[in-house]
Amino acid sequence: MNAGDRFAGRFLIPGGLWLLAFFAVPFVIVVALSFGTPGELGGALYGWYPENYSRAFDPVFLPVLLRSVGYAVATVALCLALGYPVAYYIARFGGRHKHVLIALVVMPFFVNYLVRTYAMVALLSDEGVVNGVLGLDDPVRFLNNPFAVIGGLVYGYLAFMILPVYAALDRMDPALIEAGKDLYGSDWSTFWHVTWPTTFQGVLAGTVLVFLPAVGDFVAAQLLGGPGTYMIGNLIQQQFFGAENWPFGAALTVLMMAFLFVWMVLYLRSAARASQEATA
Amino acid sequence: MRSDYFDEPLRRRELLQGGAGLALALGLAGCGVGDEPAGSTKKVAKAKVIKAQPDGDLVYFNWAEYLDPKLIKEFEKRYGVKVRESNFDSMNGMMAKLRSGNRYDLIFPTADWAQRLRAGNQLLRFDKEQLKNTGTVYDYFAKPWYDPTADHTVPYALYASGILYRTDKVEMTGSWNDLALDSARGKTYLLDDYQEVLGAGNFVVGADLNSKDPADIEKSKQWALDLKPKLRGFSTDDIQNLVGGNAWIHHGWNGDVVNVRNQVKKPENYSFQKCSEGLPLGTDCLAIPANAEHPGTALAFIDFILEPENASRNIEYMGYPMPYTGPDETFAELVKTDPSINVKIEDLENGDQFRDLGADGRRLWDDAWTEIKAA
Repeated sequence: MNAGDRFAGRFLIPGGLWLLAFFAVPFVIVVALSFGTPGELGGALYGWYPENYSRAFDPVFLPVLLRSVGYAVATVALCLALGYPVAYYIARFGGRHKHVLIALVVMPFFVNYLVRTYAMVALLSDEGVVNGVLGLDDPVRFLNNPFAVIGGLVYGYLAFMILPVYAALDRMDPALIEAGKDLYGSDWSTFWHVTWPTTFQGVLAGTVLVFLPAVGDFVAAQLLGGPGTYMIGNLIQQQFFGAENWPFGAALTVLMMAFLFVWMVLYLRSAARASQEATA
Repeated sequence: MRSDYFDEPLRRRELLQGGAGLALALGLAGCGVGDEPAGSTKKVAKAKVIKAQPDGDLVYFNWAEYLDPKLIKEFEKRYGVKVRESNFDSMNGMMAKLRSGNRYDLIFPTADWAQRLRAGNQLLRFDKEQLKNTGTVYDYFAKPWYDPTADHTVPYALYASGILYRTDKVEMTGSWNDLALDSARGKTYLLDDYQEVLGAGNFVVGADLNSKDPADIEKSKQWALDLKPKLRGFSTDDIQNLVGGNAWIHHGWNGDVVNVRNQVKKPENYSFQKCSEGLPLGTDCLAIPANAEHPGTALAFIDFILEPENASRNIEYMGYPMPYTGPDETFAELVKTDPSINVKIEDLENGDQFRDLGADGRRLWDDAWTEIKAA
């Protein structure tokens, strides 16, 4: 290792310590908890109780898993449908306003996700602002159904799709599109055969960035959902705050992380292959 | 608007302490997380009497809208301290926060939870002489079942669980099964509380409120599952769900209807029903956690709330009977126009109160509750 490497290596120390203190150590605690048993006053007693894990495969929890994945997939699809055109417009036609437009996309993130979700409640409840403007005798019931949950997730995570897609589009050489047109490609076939494949890694990154938090989210279902919109995040939250069963909550958390890890690895491998192809 | 999860972020120091404690905790497998009795504070408490004098800002942990905010302002002014308020939305939520190491000066547990906390050495034993205004507290609470020495808790209010409803929208029949009324389909909420839901279910299926018989709990669970398609949600925020118009029928607590009426244009449209199959009753307490940083301020606050004039005003705000002679006349006034919200001390003596289920019983109820929510 030369001196330059050693110097650069020092840059890893703050982040490394941070990860150690706030990720690695808590994660070890969660794993240790997941093999524990509930204490007399809540909390947990450490021990060896692997039944916390076998209980997670009880069929009563299957609907919760399917529901969570379903909502997350729907959220990704909607974020892509809404986000791609926005990113495309900003990257291709934003001109000198590009940075302002991107700042506008990021702006809502200055406000905490929870607060934004509460704002949705205030806007969309039966006697909320929107129903007030509509002024119908029988208010539209926007909230407390799966659509409200998915809507909340899309609103919460849309920027995670727009930003990587925008970055991919922005990196793309516009001459590629001209080349496609020169070869008598229609607008649509040029998009499909040139733009989409070129920006696919951005789409993939956006998909992962939206899917991972959405599938584990509990805020949207808690505030915007109804009795039948329980997600994995709610189930885990319930074990800690509702059922005094930290060990089972911890076991569910570990399984959840393992599940998400698989997707993350698949994504990273795909991204690595793409960058190899790009440099090859 | 409130959040049980984000209002009190873990302090960095606590996380670091947790990290440092990890090696030790892992080494001593079998030791509980946060199961150690709050040692140092407790020793101090034994060594010297804590006076009912402010010793810092009050870290206050209560249900939302369960104490007149004007009284809090006045307390702050009188003693020159701040009241840092956060809210829980269930007893489990309160317990989880306590057990994860958050320190509070004043909490509001129900009787059965106070009993558990007391048995686990989690409540401060205070010197009764320090509270000047406890003379008005009903004799029933001289030796309550959950705190036989009456020096870990002071009763705050009596409550009954039933159904709050819109008189202009639904015809009620007096039964718990009114929660299934089709006229309020999609406008009905169950309390987000496993004791309340399964307790009500137990009454409906003819079991004891606190039954630990798995067959009873199975039936009670099925009752709740059958209700689910008709529900709009599970929530303990009965006040705001009714005020906001989302709820026409709400499983909830008697006094909250008074609070609702205080906030709406047509108070006459809101009422409370005690259900014929059985009436769960309870006592909410004022208590100081053993690891409180400012127990002196907490005692001063308790004494402040017990002042007859303050208690009377508080009753008008929150609508629950406080079991103190004198202020109870204020509640008697409220009840004159609406006897349905009354809870008398005789009811408590003869009625059904939630009791601690013990570890196995809790597990049985928790598992049933998790299934109800997950389905």
